[in-house]
Amino acid sequence: MAEPFIKIENLSYTYEEEDANASPVLKELSLRIEKGEFVAVLGHNGSGKSTLAKLINMILLPTSGKIFVKGKDITIENMRDEELLELRKTVGMVFQNPDNQLVATVVEDDVAFGPENLGVPSRKIRERVDRVLRDVGMLEYAKHEPHRLSGGQKQRIAIAGVLAMLPECIIFDESTAMLDPLGRRDVMSAIEKLNREQGITVIMITHYMEEAAVADRIVVLDDGKMILDGTPSFVFEHEDRLRECGLAIPQGTELIHKLRRAGISLEGECVTLEDCADLIERSLENKGN
Amino acid sequence: MSEITVEKLSYFHGKDTPYEIKALDGIDLKIQKGMITGLIGHTGSGKSTLVQMFNGILRPHEGKVLLDGEDIWKRPKDIRKIRFRVGLVMQYPEYQLFEETIYKDIAYGPKNMGLSESEIDERVREAAEFAGLEPDLLEKSPFDLSGGQKRRAAIAGIIAMRPELLILDEPAAGLDPRGRDSIFQNIAEYQKKSGSTVLIVSHSMEDMARYCERLIVMSGGKIMLEGNCREVFSHADLLESVGLDIPQITKLTMMLRERGIELDSSVYTVEEAFEKIIKLYS
Repeated sequence: MAEPFIKIENLSYTYEEEDANASPVLKELSLRIEKGEFVAVLGHNGSGKSTLAKLINMILLPTSGKIFVKGKDITIENMRDEELLELRKTVGMVFQNPDNQLVATVVEDDVAFGPENLGVPSRKIRERVDRVLRDVGMLEYAKHEPHRLSGGQKQRIAIAGVLAMLPECIIFDESTAMLDPLGRRDVMSAIEKLNREQGITVIMITHYMEEAAVADRIVVLDDGKMILDGTPSFVFEHEDRLRECGLAIPQGTELIHKLRRAGISLEGECVTLEDCADLIERSLENKGN
Repeated sequence: MSEITVEKLSYFHGKDTPYEIKALDGIDLKIQKGMITGLIGHTGSGKSTLVQMFNGILRPHEGKVLLDGEDIWKRPKDIRKIRFRVGLVMQYPEYQLFEETIYKDIAYGPKNMGLSESEIDERVREAAEFAGLEPDLLEKSPFDLSGGQKRRAAIAGIIAMRPELLILDEPAAGLDPRGRDSIFQNIAEYQKKSGSTVLIVSHSMEDMARYCERLIVMSGGKIMLEGNCREVFSHADLLESVGLDIPQITKLTMMLRERGIELDSSVYTVEEAFEKIIKLYS
């Protein structure tokens, strides 16, 4: 079997505080993510999702266990600066708060910040900035001031800033949590586009089940361990297990489950609202026959 | 129980500068007493500006804010007293905890109201219970609490002032589904038991549909729609056109209607949808 893009082996992490018996946030977690996958990570507050993201992005070093990115061990201490830089370029991260991630006073300067620091020639930077701003649908705002933009627009600028580093993978840590419905829609469609059209590997941490539903695969964490891993359709079948760990399923899926429990025959996948409408429509037709 | 009314209210950000923006544009509005009202609107629609007018953090440039019929800016020096009567829980309020213990943090408001020790103690305990905080957390430092618990502590700090009107700006933002449900249930119970007036600002249409009796929709500094869930969510196209949404389950029932299935589309919760759809099979 070929080497996966990200391989996580027996990963544990404990936040070291004065409290000597602090319990681990991640417990012996193992996970493989292939290149080009779109993986949603679900879990209640405190389940270890963000810690996992920070470990993959090398903001934290594991207490024990290993992480390999493209076959390279990223958990070794005293990594050379060039190697660290190369890895940080490979895996980028977009955070929750749109106001904490922008550094410049003009949008295009902000997006150019990364490549400038990498020493990319300025003509190339120009091309790159225009291209990534177009990718997130923000090219017309190139000369605007970031602080006058809406939350969703700011997040798309933050994504452009990461894209300008030419990453192979982007981790989104609840990047839509502070946005209004339109902002969420825009950011979600930007994320989908990066994955589907450019093949960028996406790891998306979210509390919104409808967002997780668009991923290829959902990984559910509870208490530092992986409890479910599979397609959205597979994961949402486990409604009771998800509820036990403080999660939910999309409203449409919940309705189908409820109808099934009441004895209505509804066969097939029920992840999107379209799926659910199809199932109900078909079963009502069958009933008529 | 008191009532907030605003008359021809206008407010400008950056007034008298080249960047002047009209944030509120001649709003007339009454928040209904003794129930939970939801305020929705896209980013920049003016909702946060409006709620900051209600307790006198911002002063109107035009028009009036009336609390029980009296202009809150009639005696500007007394504006502090308005803040005891109209409690505002801001977004991510857990970042505003500052005392050594949760108890002291919740007691901060009542203390400033000049209440006696025993009265303060009673209120702190009552508010903690309303906000769903275990009594043994009261003596802990805010640093020892989880994000959700800190959020509850911050809400308790406002409830402890026994405000006649409680305003919460995105009380469940960033919480997982169980955390969201439980905070909203606590707010609903608080409203029922205290009979006070509650105003919630949120982007989650599913939560709004479930917990609010009335909804106010803002766009461009104006009130665009007002009414109960049925009235407001029946304008799905209008809501989408200003960057808002309708609950997922309402969308599903509308899709079914479009496919010729006879179904009343005024459905806002999974339970309601279930009741209506199951009838189609009988």
